[in-house]
Formats: sequence, C-alpha cells, structure tokens
Amino acid sequence: MDLVTVNGLSKRYGGIVALSEATFSARAGEVHALLGENGAGKSTFIQILSGAVQHDGGSIVVDGQDYRPANPDAAQARGIAAVFQELSLIPDLSVEQNIWFRHEPRTWLGTVNRTQMRLKTLALLEKYNFPALRPDQELRRLTLAERQIVEIAKGLAKDPRILILDEATSALPAREAEWLLNLTRQLAAEGRLVIFISHRMAEVRAIADRLTIFRNGSTVAAHEADAVSDNEIVTQMIGRHLDRLYPERVSTATDRIALGVKGFSSGSRLSGVDFALREGEVLGVGGLQGHGQRELFQALFGATKASGSIELWGKPVSIGNPRQALTGKDGIALVPEDRRGQGLLLTKSVRENLTLSVIKRFTENGLLSRQKEAALVKEMVDFLRIKAGTPEQLAGTLSGGNQQKVIFGKMLLTQARVLLLYDPTRGVDVGTKGEIFQLMRDLAAKGYAILFHSSDMPELVHVADRVLVMRNGRIAATLEGVHISEEEILRAAMLETRAA
Amino acid sequence: MSAFLARNRLIVLAYAGMLALLLVTALFSPGFLSVSNMRSTVVLAAFVGIVALGQTFVIIGGGIDLSVPWVLNSAAIIMALLCGGQDLPLVWVMPLLLAGGAFIGLINGIGVAQFGVPPIIMTLATNVILQGLILVLTGGSPTPSAPALIQFLSVGRLSGFPVIALIWLALTLVATLLLSKAAFGRHLYALGTSATVAEFSGVPTARTTILTYVISGLTAAFAGMLLTGYSGQAYLGMGDAYLFTSIAAVAIGGASILGGSGHYLGTVAGAMVLTILTGLLPALNLSSGALLIVYGAVILLTVSIGSETFAGLGGRLRRKEG
Repeated sequence: MDLVTVNGLSKRYGGIVALSEATFSARAGEVHALLGENGAGKSTFIQILSGAVQHDGGSIVVDGQDYRPANPDAAQARGIAAVFQELSLIPDLSVEQNIWFRHEPRTWLGTVNRTQMRLKTLALLEKYNFPALRPDQELRRLTLAERQIVEIAKGLAKDPRILILDEATSALPAREAEWLLNLTRQLAAEGRLVIFISHRMAEVRAIADRLTIFRNGSTVAAHEADAVSDNEIVTQMIGRHLDRLYPERVSTATDRIALGVKGFSSGSRLSGVDFALREGEVLGVGGLQGHGQRELFQALFGATKASGSIELWGKPVSIGNPRQALTGKDGIALVPEDRRGQGLLLTKSVRENLTLSVIKRFTENGLLSRQKEAALVKEMVDFLRIKAGTPEQLAGTLSGGNQQKVIFGKMLLTQARVLLLYDPTRGVDVGTKGEIFQLMRDLAAKGYAILFHSSDMPELVHVADRVLVMRNGRIAATLEGVHISEEEILRAAMLETRAA
Repeated sequence: MSAFLARNRLIVLAYAGMLALLLVTALFSPGFLSVSNMRSTVVLAAFVGIVALGQTFVIIGGGIDLSVPWVLNSAAIIMALLCGGQDLPLVWVMPLLLAGGAFIGLINGIGVAQFGVPPIIMTLATNVILQGLILVLTGGSPTPSAPALIQFLSVGRLSGFPVIALIWLALTLVATLLLSKAAFGRHLYALGTSATVAEFSGVPTARTTILTYVISGLTAAFAGMLLTGYSGQAYLGMGDAYLFTSIAAVAIGGASILGGSGHYLGTVAGAMVLTILTGLLPALNLSSGALLIVYGAVILLTVSIGSETFAGLGGRLRRKEG
C-alpha cells in the first residue's frame, strides 16, 4: 500500500510549464530520492507536496484520500513537512524560537511556555542525536551549516509522517552530512517516508531505497535503488550520455606566483596562513568546516579585515575592501559562498547583475553606453551558456546553476585573473557542475590562478592540482599528486586536531 | 515598448493617476484646467519636486532623510538674514548655503555609512539640532523680506513659463541622467537592493550612500531659498510640510520605500499628484483636516499597489525551478 500516489500532476506559470504529467509513488518507511537537473521540475513537485503552490492538473492521494493543500499549514495538518534549501528561518529569533515558530507550547494564559519549549527542544535534539546546538543562541550568529541543521529540527518538530529534504546536505560539512544520512535511515525505520533531493550520487546510493528521476519538467523513470547503475541514472537525468563529470586534469601551472600569501591572519579563525598560488593552477582548499576556509576567502577578497602580506603577480598589495580587490587584470575576484545573499541582486536583471562590477568598461564621458554593455552581456551569456529568456529576465527567476553562472560571468568580466571560488557547485545540478569544472580547467590553461574550496571532498580530489588542508586557522598540510585523496585530506584535517 | 511598460509599471501608473486626478478636479472645479491655474499648480509642485529630488536618491539607496524640513528652513532664514533684502549678497550667500546643505548631508551620510547609525535616527537628530540652532540664532524674531532676485526665480516668468518650472525641468534632466545614464545610478540601485551584494560586487557603498544624503541636503537648501522668494519672507516652520510631501511624492512615484527601485520621473508625477490634491480639496469644500486624511489615504493606496507588485515578485521568485 503506497502512502503517496501522484498521477498526471502538472503546474503552469503563465506560459511556462513547470511540471507536466508527473507520476510518483512512495511507501511509508522508505527513503525515496528525487533526482534531476536544476529546472527538471523537482522543486515544483515538492512545493506542491508541501502546500507552497497548488497544482493545476492531476491528482495526489495521501493515505487513500485526495490531497490538495491550500498552504503549508494544511500540508502539515496532513503530516507533511518540508525542509527547503532556501532557508526560512528568522535571524532575530533564537534557535528554539525558530524551531517551534507558530507552534510554541503555551501556558494556560496563552503565552509561550518557555520551560516547556526548552524541554521539548532538548528532547528533540537528543532523540535524533543532533550535532551540538544551543537552544538559546540567536540565529544570526550561526553559520550556514548550523542554520541548515536548525531548519531540519524545525521540520522534525512537526513530527511529520512525510519529511521532504531539499538538498539538505549541500550546506553541511562532511561529518554533519553523515549524521543527516543516518537520520534519514532512522526516520524511515520509524515508519516515516523521507523524500530526499540531492545532487550527490554517493549520498543517494548510501540511503535511498527507491528513486524517481525528473527531466524537463516531468518524471521519466522510477527505480529500486539497487536495480539501477549510476550510468543509467545520469543518462536518464540528462537525456544523453555524460562522458564524465570531472575533466581531465592536465597541469597547466607555471612557476610564476600569482598570489603569494604570508602570515595571513584574521580574527580568531585565521592565524598565520602561508601559501603560494601559481599561474595556471587550481589550488584546492579543504579540511573540516569551520577551520578558517571561509575567513581565508573573505579576507583575501577584502570583505573582512586581516593582517599579513599579500602579493599579486609579484607586487605587494593591501586589500581593504572588495572594491580594492576588483581592480581589473591584476585584481582578485570572488565567487562567494552565499549565492542569494552575497552574489546576486535577485530582483534585478541578468544584465544588471553581470555588469555591476564593470560599469567603467562601458562608460564613455561619464555616460553609460547600452550598446557596449549589451556586447559585454552577450559575451558572457554565450561564453557561459547562461540559459535566460532575455538578459532582462530577473536573476531571482533563474535556476540555481544559471544563477551561479551569472555570478561567474560578473567576476570574469572584471578580467581578474586570480579567482577565489568558494563552494561554487553547491546546489548546482550535475550538468552545470561538469561545465563549471571544465571552465575552471579552461581558465587555468589560459593562465588564470584559481583558489577553490568545496564542501564536497571528491571535487577537491578530482579537480585540484594541489590541496591545502586547513586546521585551526592554519595550513595543516599541502597534498600533491597521488597524495590527494579523501583519506589523506581527512587525516590531515582531523588527526592533529585530536592531538591539539 | 511593452518591456518598458512592464519595467516601469508603477511610474506609468503614477502618471495615469495624475491625469485621472486632473480630470476629476476639472469636473468639480471647471476653472482648474485654466492656464493660470495650471501654472500656479506647477509652481507649487516644483517646491515639493525639488525637495523630493534628494529624497528620491536617498530612498532608492535604502535610506530616508528626515532632516529636510529644517535644512530647508535653515537655508531660508539664514539667506533672508544675510541678504537683508538686497540682491548683491546672493552671489556669495547662495553658494554658501548650498554648501551648508551639502555639509549637513555629508554629516548624515557619514553617520549612516561609516558609523552605522540608522538613517531615521541620524537624520531626525540633525533635524532637531538644526531647529535648535535656528531658534538660538533668530531668537524667534521675524526676518527681512526676500531679495528680488530670489522672488524672480520662484514667481517670475520667462516668455510665459514660470522660472521655477524651468529650473525644475533642468533638475529633472540632471537627476534622470544620474539615475539612468551614470555609474552612480547603477551603484545606487544595487546598494538599495542589497548592500551586501553591492559591497561584494565592488560597488563603493559608503561613497554612494554619503552622496545621496549630500544631494538631499543640496536640494532641501535650494528649495528653502526658493520658497522664501515665493512667500516673500522666511519664517519658522516653513519646511515642516515638506517632510511628509517629499517622502509621499517618492512613494506615489513608484519607488519602494525599502530601496532599490523607483525613479525621479515617477517622483515628478508624485509631486504633481500631491499638489493637484491640495487644489481639489478646497473645491470639494473639505476642511484642512480632511485634506490630511485624503493625503494619508493616497499614500496607503500607493503603498498597497506597491506591495501587490512585491507579492507578485515573490511568486516569480518561488517559481524558480530546480
């Protein structure tokens, strides 16, 4: 007996078909993975299930009864809760206030029962073995990963029979991602249905009982997880055969140092980092989350204060703010961690986003030239194959992969040849991931120097020429050649942590 | 063309509202559309429009300037005192007071951009401080009448056109160039949309913020001098009405009060709407209390139209597939 059965589900937005004729079925007690590229219809599908949007055609049956929630509250009343990657938390509230938001335990006076709320929070965190979280911590002080964990707790607080996890692991470091995978197994063992979206095949392999594949706004196949190969899945996802995700690694590094960093420190998280990034090199930065990677990238870009010396192409520079980093050919550009909060003006057009950092390049006598701007926009849209209806489309309406391409385009237009890429593939579909890796190698071959952090360790292993492993705000090890492996990265990241 | 309409829907709406209001007013008061009446409406709207010019820049950048009433009033009173009814001193008094207005804007801007003081607090404080300074300076005594040259600028005509309307037109051109055709405009919209994204994109956020307040100080001081010419003399409290009208004109003109959108061309329509309303209400035999009520209602109406677009946008953002 299936817990959820979906037939012929469709959703249109004006002339755009976001979902058509989707079919789906899942049982209680299983982990069911949804796979597909960005824009394939997964998000629309789970938005309908969670009550965020309403479908136009088809039917959903939950527990033998017709299901058509008018809003997320109605969905929750039927036992369906969703954890979205676009975080829904309120920065000014504490962890526990966020978890129980609008469902707070009450006293007989109708006020919030704080004692009860604290007890329930601790019980919830304990039951599911949550990584350390302080219930009274203000949310704005948490990292992206910690917020994601709070989001998961908020979903579980509703005790749902069906829990939807939308790329919940993408913001998590390795250890917490591992915990989440165990959690989904535990939830399934309790008889719940977990619907799980991830772009990481290894995770899907590790936990999914069954999987449904989306392509071009519809479902194309459903499989028992152990009856289908990775290759078949990828082929069905992209509708063609993808040769490989990672491009061939041919080192193009020269002896010339593009970015030399000495004694670089910032706050308490970064203490005395030395390294040299060479022309034509892709230099990976790994390690456990929270050991200074974020601070390193932000400080190099001038977004946070730092001390120590930086040389760009042999010249000492001082970078006090991003504007001083983005100084054209000799500058340094950052693709930031938080695409929506730091990278894109969501309510502005693709064009305005692409050219925001290079207004000088199309200004003549103090006035903007729309022709010159259009040429720059076209150059990047073509080069990166950004899929937007027109350059006037709002950036917020693009898929995650295309949003990331717009940010790449914005930074490439600055002509900076030292690129800092902080987790550039997070939340990006597998096809675009492949394009980004190929782009990195192509740029390196042209003499760009790339510093690359990824929260997905295999990416570092397969893409970087060398890997710096960070621990406690320092470089703990530099791995090269055959020594670059997940085991070596973890060993360098963890072993001496225990000693210290 | 349709793309232009879609992008500037709220500005087009503001002009449509202005025309509709003109027609309604003409129905109730047939003489309203006469040349002389239109002329005086435009003159009155010009004062609102000039103060609201700076306010438009500040609001697009994500701030708000509550110091305009007393920047305006200070410029008016100091000009009257320094000139003593003579034209000649204007040669140095006008540049001096414009610089003074710019200086107050600079202080506002530095407070907001460098020290992180919330714009409401910062500009409210400068407003009160200026008010106090002027009270100390004048002791509340009346000021000499306005110089003839200033009167010419605010009520005079050049081949039939009010001089101030020509000044307003010129300022509108400058503002439009700055917003649509200059790097400053791009920086400003980015800043108002997301200060963090602007900063990460290399936008000079502090400089841009400060500049908006400097422009607002300039236009408020300039309007204060012109207004003195219009009323013949400067008096305490003459700027008070311009706090509400300058902000209302920006909002009616289609700008989001949260920043990141809007245009001075919209504000121009907003200033006209507010002025026509004040002409309509006497024709309806409404009291000045009712005038305020209608004013407030118009603002509510425009803001709800604005929030409707905001909700529409939210829908479009959620549509992002993946």
